[in-house]
Amino acid sequence: MLYLELLFQGIVQGSIYALIALGLTLVYGLLRILHVAHAALFTLGGYLGVIITNATGSLALATVISMVVVGFVGMAVYKLAYEPLLSKPPFIALIASIALFIASEEIFRIIFGPYGLSYTTPPLQGYFVLFDGFFLKHGEALVIVLSVVMLAALGWFSTKTRLGVSWRATVTDPDMASAFGINTQNVRYMNFFIGSALAAAAGVLVALLNNLVEPSMGSVASYKALAIIVLGGLGSIRGTLIAAMAIGIIESFGTIYIGHLLDRDALAFAFLIVVLMLRPQGLLGAK
Amino acid sequence: MLQVNNLSAGYGDIIAVRGFSFSVEPGKILALVGANGAGKSSTLMCLMGLVERKAGTILMNGTDLSDMKIEARITAGLAIVPEGRRIFPDLSIRENLMVGGHIVAESVMSSGIDMVYEFFPRLAERQSQAAGSLSGGEQQMLAIGRALISRPQILIVDELSLGLMPKVVDQCYGVLDKLKSEGIGILLVEQNTERVLDVADDICALEAGNLIWSGTANEAQKNTSLTKKLMGVH
Repeated sequence: MLYLELLFQGIVQGSIYALIALGLTLVYGLLRILHVAHAALFTLGGYLGVIITNATGSLALATVISMVVVGFVGMAVYKLAYEPLLSKPPFIALIASIALFIASEEIFRIIFGPYGLSYTTPPLQGYFVLFDGFFLKHGEALVIVLSVVMLAALGWFSTKTRLGVSWRATVTDPDMASAFGINTQNVRYMNFFIGSALAAAAGVLVALLNNLVEPSMGSVASYKALAIIVLGGLGSIRGTLIAAMAIGIIESFGTIYIGHLLDRDALAFAFLIVVLMLRPQGLLGAK
Repeated sequence: MLQVNNLSAGYGDIIAVRGFSFSVEPGKILALVGANGAGKSSTLMCLMGLVERKAGTILMNGTDLSDMKIEARITAGLAIVPEGRRIFPDLSIRENLMVGGHIVAESVMSSGIDMVYEFFPRLAERQSQAAGSLSGGEQQMLAIGRALISRPQILIVDELSLGLMPKVVDQCYGVLDKLKSEGIGILLVEQNTERVLDVADDICALEAGNLIWSGTANEAQKNTSLTKKLMGVH
């Protein structure tokens, strides 16, 4: 029973990691930029989720608005922070991204205060009894269901629609994609919109599980997501999803069985080091 | 008909092609020949709007495409089979063909894909397979098929035989022949001079970005000094 409970906890955590890391890997795949400021969009999503839920009483509405608003903010980040730097070496954009992330933490602190925000009436506080002695909180179930739905929708979009196929073609070879009339600039905007919206959804879900959003909540997410996309194989969407789930489950079991040796947040990096020693290109990365 | 007048093209301050004129008629093959760095591929990429045009005009059936975006050039009837094939390896065969039809209506794209499958039944059999898993020859067929989806009047083909087995090269040229007989004009860049002289109707020879000779393939074959030069025989 304990194993099953730990597995479910791992899947819940892995689902959140997947939503965050996917945006990061999408940006890396298209622009070869490590978009550290992605974690700021995750935090913004969390704040909007709590504020809108508190104002309207609807978590669903808050999630949708948060995803749309943060999606557009992500596009603005690309336009203002990255686009002017695309002709420069990638580390310049990385420096800009780190600066943006640090600045965003301070902006959240100034606007929303240093102590964080909580739901006035926390939504989805009940739980399902799956079988005798095994409970799943409504919030945790929502994390799994929402992640599956969003990732399935993304999978459908990217393989079954012309726009989605054009998007994947652009990620593979932007110059050749443009030779067939694909507007690669629009694809970049779409890429940032989708990635940022997924990060916002993850922010809303984390805020739901913890009943707290705070200015620094993106810190752990930023380096954990970086570890996940390296582990999955930089730019590999499937690798990212597998790595996110693996890290979530390893953390869940590791906290119980080797928690006295390694901190929960260090487990991801220990696993990353072991995998990179065996497969330097990551789980599904190309050599 | 594609009419190119005094075309100069290049990359930043570097001029790769200098004041070069030619035309490609429907149902004819014009081949650009010359050594590496002669400016052949730069000319092709410039026609598609992928390399900067420094001077000159590009007319398609009288419409000036010189300053037009790539979409407009494709709509006007140009399509490219690039050097090295450059298929999208992670996309399936069908998805690669969908990219070729990005700017055309859904119905045109679908019928285009059916047409390509008729041309290349092997692609139809493996349409769900990742394009990266295909052999070199199959990838070249896919690259040709992808360019045909938008129903080009002029097909721009860069290094068709590069890295392919002779038998596969024969198949690919067979396809070009069929396209030619259907009225599609072909602008071909090819290192294999012997093959070019065999299939092309007209030849333009380039050297260091300049046109050094132009005429029919028959005239080129009779011009011993030119053929020796093109074949690297001194």
